[in-house]
Amino acid sequence: MIAPEAKRRLTEVVGARGYLDRPEDLKLYEYDGSVDKAKPELVLFPRSTEDVVAIVKITHEFRIPIVGRGAGTGLSGGAIPRSGGVTIGFARMNRILEIDLKNERAVLQPGVVNLDITLAVQAQKYFYAPDPSSQRACTIGGNVAENAGGPHTLAYGVTTNHVLGLEVVLPDGTVFETGGKETDVPGYDLTGLLVGSEGTMGLVTKVIVRLMRAPELVKTALAIYDTVDDCADTVALITARGITPVAVEMLDGVMLRMVEEATHAGYPMDASAVLLIELEGLKEGVDEQLELIRQACMDCRCREFRVARSAEERDLLWKGRKNAFGAVGRVSPFYYVQDGVVPRTQIAPTLRRIQQVSEKYGLIISNIFHAGDGNMHPIILFDARKENELQRAQLAGEEILQFCVDSGGSITGEHGVGMEKMELMGHQFPEDTLNAIKAFKNLFDPDCRLNPGKVLPTGKGCLEVRQLPLTAATAI
Amino acid sequence: MEQIRPRSPEELAARLGEASAAGQRIRLEGNGSKARAGGAISEADVRISTACLDQVLIFEPKDLTMSVGAGLPFARFTELLDQHGMMVPLDPPFAAQATVGGVVAANTSGPRRRLYGTARDLVIGMKFATLEGKIVQSGGMVVKNVAGLDMAKLLIGSLGTLAAIATVNFKLIPKPQGSRTFVFEYNTASEAVAMRDRILQSALQPSAVDLCNPAAATVLGLAKWTLAIGVSGNAAVLDRYQRELGGEAIEGGFWRAVEEFGPGFLNANPEGCIVRCAVTLDQVGAAMEKLPGAVVARSANGVCYSHCQSTDQAAAAMTMGRPVMEYGPSSRTAALKMWPNKDSGFPIMQKVKRMFDPKHLLNRGRLYGDI
Repeated sequence: MIAPEAKRRLTEVVGARGYLDRPEDLKLYEYDGSVDKAKPELVLFPRSTEDVVAIVKITHEFRIPIVGRGAGTGLSGGAIPRSGGVTIGFARMNRILEIDLKNERAVLQPGVVNLDITLAVQAQKYFYAPDPSSQRACTIGGNVAENAGGPHTLAYGVTTNHVLGLEVVLPDGTVFETGGKETDVPGYDLTGLLVGSEGTMGLVTKVIVRLMRAPELVKTALAIYDTVDDCADTVALITARGITPVAVEMLDGVMLRMVEEATHAGYPMDASAVLLIELEGLKEGVDEQLELIRQACMDCRCREFRVARSAEERDLLWKGRKNAFGAVGRVSPFYYVQDGVVPRTQIAPTLRRIQQVSEKYGLIISNIFHAGDGNMHPIILFDARKENELQRAQLAGEEILQFCVDSGGSITGEHGVGMEKMELMGHQFPEDTLNAIKAFKNLFDPDCRLNPGKVLPTGKGCLEVRQLPLTAATAI
Repeated sequence: MEQIRPRSPEELAARLGEASAAGQRIRLEGNGSKARAGGAISEADVRISTACLDQVLIFEPKDLTMSVGAGLPFARFTELLDQHGMMVPLDPPFAAQATVGGVVAANTSGPRRRLYGTARDLVIGMKFATLEGKIVQSGGMVVKNVAGLDMAKLLIGSLGTLAAIATVNFKLIPKPQGSRTFVFEYNTASEAVAMRDRILQSALQPSAVDLCNPAAATVLGLAKWTLAIGVSGNAAVLDRYQRELGGEAIEGGFWRAVEEFGPGFLNANPEGCIVRCAVTLDQVGAAMEKLPGAVVARSANGVCYSHCQSTDQAAAAMTMGRPVMEYGPSSRTAALKMWPNKDSGFPIMQKVKRMFDPKHLLNRGRLYGDI
């Protein structure tokens, strides 16, 4: 419980219209894009770094847990306040502080929406590369916390490759800056350490990102297959031949039909799988690459290879891909997205295993994922109102992730460990590694007040969970 | 001084743990090619080298990934990749003598970083041995991975002051079909920078955009302000660059000379030093006009290397941008200020150092003598 004195002082910082504390309002902040839930006791909306520092100092004094939150689109429970306390919503720190094209940089407050960065510079032919599917809503602060990816990270890298500097507030109120607009700033790469630390080591209040010059030509192709294996083999062949598209996305038959019914993007309803492939660059290079890609697809028994003829056609194909989760929502009341990664040579066996898991648990699992990176997104459909279905979905997900790790991969490629995959960390990493992560957590957050109960397995973290999280099954 | 060359990551961890428990000061190195980099290591009781961890551990050409021991000679690493039509285009100085671990620990890089980035962009996983005698893993063997903390980022560029890198995993880049080099000479820095800006603001995507002042150009067999552009792609793409950039292509061997510019200078100038100034792209021209000595810049990244004859000259160089003395004089001068203008993150760096090395045993003097 937040003491009345603490609450009075916290709400004074943000003013009468800068906080939420009524139960019906707090309920909107108890979940993100994953399946777990836990309610904060107070949500505060700071407008400046000074506000954040003031809030953090008061919570320090009263030992109140704090969790940062962007748009709440995360898929691993990263923004869920599982110990209650204060949620710091960055929705009002949403200004683009500076666009500096001559230095290829933008300086942002954490609440800036990902897509708004590109929208601000696309007239000048620049863009911000990491493009998570939630980019119309998700914020740069959340992207930094989770080290977000997206389809085009195959060529351009994930968030950490595009963030050059941060302003960080530590749980005791200390403010410091890392990196800058320049590269090769002397000293340890604290920026690199903090990006992807899942909001457990500091609150980010300013982000400096790289802007890139837009390519002269973009071509998007759709390769259609009668078997999932042929489609998966194409990805391995493209990689093995050293062809470098900027995005290779795969949708299986289950997913295709859901997406097509929702967006009418022109995906074939009868196919077993498709690849959505994008090439960018100088036109002389793109044309040749497109032919190499077509050849690789044909060598793997592709039924049809279509190239989008216009920007509208291309946008429609991508709309189908990026609105996939919405499409799933039309079909199933609940779904559970996984984020395992496997070496690209292992995609076909992994998809076969996912099919077996689907049959074993009696749950439909559809697949839509960043195939070029080997980053699988099996989407497990379930109905939490039915007895044990959430539990079955979670067990199915766990079994898939174990398989990914056993194949030489990872439990998460871009969504983060959060509270959802904590227990699996021990499967992927040896004890000494978990202890090292814990040591860093203790160094930055010795009182364990910042986003407690995340990333490390229970018993390995410093937190004694004060309240059990609710789940989608227990309260709707 | 006792010399230890462990043959496995486990042995490396054990030796570090023992030395640390005994309170011994440790000199940690690969092949020791960069003795003058990042501050000279002060006296040590034991010398631990990763040179015998020189195996290729995993090579998955079809998956474009490779895991190698830290002691693998960088030259052997690049040769092996080359044979398979792949590359890790870090282009570091001292490439003929350095180990992979040393390149990563010093975060050295070269001309093609404009397109391919530096170690932080190409390393996908790492194992390092700590003074507690433990082996810690960061990342893995897949190209996308956010499980756990990205501790490898801290080790990259830490100059052996935190822990010992035992193995490094890379993502591999397919070698482009062809590449060309174009060199343009100008009477002033601003003309050269204007050309750079025209290129960067166009759809062209050169892999390297280096700028040399006349003093540096002279060493490379040229004379004036020199903008060197490296490009790659298929024949049609290369022809396009030729058309748009104008000028004639020169031999690609030019880049080896650029990469080894620093080592050559240090070799010829025992009392010389190299100051690295990080600047924004729009400051490159002005900084290069003021920086002393021969100056070579990654002009599309904003990193200028000023080759100074003396520490006095270096002190003048360290007034530009965000500088650091990357290589110092052979004769050790303890009072030398190598890292001026630390930012507000420095106390956090000190905390990190104390966490890894509370007794300050590891590579004392490195990271510019200040950590």
